[in-house]
Amino acid sequence: MFDSVLFALEFRRSQKSLWIWTLAIAATMVMVILLYPMVKDMYSAIPPEYEDFLAAFGGLPNNILEYYATEGAMMLQLFGGMYAAIEGYGAINRDDREKTVETLFTLPRRREQVFATKLLRALTNITIFSLVNYVLSVLSFVILKESIDQGIFLAFNALNLLMYVIIAVLTFSIAGISKATPKNGIAIAVPIVMYILFVFSSMTNNEWLEKLQYLTPFTFADPVVLIKEGGSVEGISLLVYGALSLGLLTLAYFRFQKREFTI
Amino acid sequence: MDRIKVEQLKKYYGPFRGLEEATFSVKEGEIFGFVGPNGAGKTTLIRLLLGLINPTSGQAQIDGYSPWNEAVEIYKEVGYLPSEAFFFPEMKVNDVIAFYRDMRKANQDRVELLCQRFDLDRTKRIRELSFGNRKKLGIVIAMMHEPKLLILDEPTTGLDPLMQQAFLDLLLEERKKGATVFLSSHILSEVEKICDRVALIREGVVSHVYDMKEINLLHQRKISVRPEIQGTLIPGLTPLEKTEEGMSYSYEGEIAPLLAFLAKQQISDITIRESSLEEMFMHFYQKEDPDHV
Repeated sequence: MFDSVLFALEFRRSQKSLWIWTLAIAATMVMVILLYPMVKDMYSAIPPEYEDFLAAFGGLPNNILEYYATEGAMMLQLFGGMYAAIEGYGAINRDDREKTVETLFTLPRRREQVFATKLLRALTNITIFSLVNYVLSVLSFVILKESIDQGIFLAFNALNLLMYVIIAVLTFSIAGISKATPKNGIAIAVPIVMYILFVFSSMTNNEWLEKLQYLTPFTFADPVVLIKEGGSVEGISLLVYGALSLGLLTLAYFRFQKREFTI
Repeated sequence: MDRIKVEQLKKYYGPFRGLEEATFSVKEGEIFGFVGPNGAGKTTLIRLLLGLINPTSGQAQIDGYSPWNEAVEIYKEVGYLPSEAFFFPEMKVNDVIAFYRDMRKANQDRVELLCQRFDLDRTKRIRELSFGNRKKLGIVIAMMHEPKLLILDEPTTGLDPLMQQAFLDLLLEERKKGATVFLSSHILSEVEKICDRVALIREGVVSHVYDMKEINLLHQRKISVRPEIQGTLIPGLTPLEKTEEGMSYSYEGEIAPLLAFLAKQQISDITIRESSLEEMFMHFYQKEDPDHV
């Protein structure tokens, strides 16, 4: 099913982008966490009339993990989602863009083998990205000597990884289904639109507009609900996106067998 | 035995013609030239043969396998050189070669031999290579696994004359070893040098397939004389164009009547040479389409 030589090549070629994204975002997260002692004092000085407004973004945090959920995790999710989208789309699109399809897709490997190997490589990178971010965040908590609920933090990171996987699978499938193109702007657009839907549905009081939350995978990995409010996983969003990504992946799998390479 | 068989193959990209109609076959062990001007449909046909694009209609087979349903079986036995071979730009030549060697399970000695023969600098990154050096790398990769069938799209474009010769020599060696070569080109001199048969494609239609021996027999002669011949010309002798002090003619037919005719003329200077394949094809294209220049 997977080809180890192709995997090694793809993995090697993706290292630069992996570590730029990983270290840039991890450094930002570490900085956000290490600023907690200073920010904590600022929270106590916020006038009560602003608290309603801040509630739309998770409200004022009571501890470092809640602070992480309201100030850091959303950034991690947005930029991580963008990275996942680029990884997914780029796994297929890169060969179109660099015009290497003719020399790569005439090697004696079945298309489904190439498809599976490229997906596995993209998901491997996303997992590494998540693991490094998780470990460095835990280390930052340790440096500040702050104790956190490790179970909740791990659960959030696992769901966050699942969200990345879903985004990557979606963009990977879009690339597999669509005609060969050197453009990759759509990859960035996918998570941004999803994130806007998520923020919009969180802020509105309209009953119908609130339902937009089911149209974005950011909902089931909402850090404020999971960490600050101690809520459970929003099942409908997970189900919708789980089914959508699997459905599109299956379609892409079959379409990719007949995909034309005209670049 | 036919290695490649193409029957009424057609490809349209929406309303745009890629290939109008192609029917021909390539025999085992021959070097088959595929000749036509730019935009005639050569690359489209090759991409169809390799299953990279799907046909609008028609059939093709390589060694009995369909390019669209059994492409992997074809890829095992084929070495392919695209007209513009692109590789992974940030990687070093040596690493790219190692990747293809591992994918193809090619013999390292063969790789070394090809790299030496084409004087390939393996320390550079792909993005630092000139078009010609990328082509040389493409040749090494296409030939490293000693394929039974070589599909080459404009293989010598970008190579210097020495490398062109080295490459053509290598193709002849491969043919001796039993390989079949499908060579697309618009450089007729190389087709003339090495091909056993040649197909002509123009505006998407593969119109003629010639045996090169047959072409050699058909060869016209080009005659330049000074001053111009007066009176009636013999059959087969056709005026081409006026030169500074005389006239040039083409001649098709036996040489003896021509020499007898020329001996009777008042000529101060004469040159007789065989028309090149290029001149023949230009003649052919002009005959098919008088507006074509």
